[in-house]
Amino acid sequence: MVARLLDLITSGLNKYQRVLGALGVSLILTACGAREVVVQGNFPKPLMDPLPLTVGVIYTDEFAQHEIFDEAAGRAESDWLVKTGDAQVEFWNTLLNGMFEGVVLIKDSQSLAAHQNSVDAVIIPAVADLQYTIPLHTNIKIYEIWMKYRFKMVALENVHSNEDGDLSINPDQYFADWTLTAYGKTPTAFLQSDEEAVNLAAVVALRDAGANFATSFTRVPDIATWMTEEIQPLPSEATENKGASDE
Amino acid sequence: MSKITQRCLIAGLVVAASILQGCVNATVDEMTFLEPTEGIGDASVVIMGRRHAPDYETEFDFIECIGDHIRRGDNSISVLHELEFINMMYPWFEPRTAPLRTDDIDKLLAQQRVADRFEELKLEYMIWIDGSTVETNSSGSMTCGVGPGGAGCFGFGTWGNASDYEATIWDFTDEIEVGRISANTSGQSYMPAVVVPIPIIAPVQGTACDSLGDQLLKYLSAKM
Repeated sequence: MVARLLDLITSGLNKYQRVLGALGVSLILTACGAREVVVQGNFPKPLMDPLPLTVGVIYTDEFAQHEIFDEAAGRAESDWLVKTGDAQVEFWNTLLNGMFEGVVLIKDSQSLAAHQNSVDAVIIPAVADLQYTIPLHTNIKIYEIWMKYRFKMVALENVHSNEDGDLSINPDQYFADWTLTAYGKTPTAFLQSDEEAVNLAAVVALRDAGANFATSFTRVPDIATWMTEEIQPLPSEATENKGASDE
Repeated sequence: MSKITQRCLIAGLVVAASILQGCVNATVDEMTFLEPTEGIGDASVVIMGRRHAPDYETEFDFIECIGDHIRRGDNSISVLHELEFINMMYPWFEPRTAPLRTDDIDKLLAQQRVADRFEELKLEYMIWIDGSTVETNSSGSMTCGVGPGGAGCFGFGTWGNASDYEATIWDFTDEIEVGRISANTSGQSYMPAVVVPIPIIAPVQGTACDSLGDQLLKYLSAKM
């Protein structure tokens, strides 16, 4: 029925007019459709002395496929879908590999069993909240992304494998549970689309999250306590302490 | 009007548009000391923008413009590319972690890998640029139309821009601040349109870039 109606409407038009019409219709449809951003970026390895620890990382499905869908508030706006999952995994892999001497991915019962004696602790990142703004929302010529992460750490022996192969952890057994925030902004630029700008703001926010995590990790009280128990004093520190006690 | 006359008129307007420029007022203040009298030799310099303020950030292309200006003026000066440097030093020069005072350099150098990287780069000067260019006012209106005989615009638009930048020079070896240079520029741009819009753009940011670039070049170069 619709096809016949379209035929009827377009039968009087020549080839070029039809092409122009189709382009016009597609432009209108694009304007009404959802705007989708799959966050992509190049993330540098951190330049720091790695902590003498081997950590396991569990990326939950929710984290690895993280996305935010924002429904349009009015006719002038579009729905927005911002997918950060792939970029999150890529970024945290790069960062953690630079921060620790060893990093292993714990994704199922097999990898859990394989690393039973080689991992000091397991870290589980989660995106607790993500908000974004574009100039249309704020009338300011800046695109912004704000993220809140929640990190939990647990000893490997407290990570259990279910019969179906999934991993589970008793909430009481986390020895550290903390949050951190990250912010990224990018100004409007000539020939830059909304999608490109939101992507750039997300990449800046991820880098900020990494900078915040890398510089504050050892200062999280529960982590500091755990590290003093876990890491043996380095030989130089041991000598200094011995010297001090001798005096 | 014949077609040839019309084409000549349009070509003339396009040429006029490319020649005409709006006026820019520029003020440059300089306070520097401990100038390297024999240049910086084979050491390098990095120029970076401040981006920790919530309401503005120093534009990447402005930093690139100053770097290019210095390289053009004295190709013996090795100016590191800002983004490459930030990536190379990640996470120590992100808006959250970048050193704000020269006292913070010691904390950076406490990280052995960071200290090694600086040595590898032979970094002698770190120049921080803080500021931005904003639109101060705009007015006027313009109407454009397309018809079977052609297209054209009619109207008049004007807008003002202002740049306010300050460069702070750190001597990285001695870990002290050795100078501050500021450049304030402002100008009004115009766009009259009779069939063809003729943009008369005031190069406000470009003038700020040249002003700061000249002063930095004078400081760093042995040739000046």
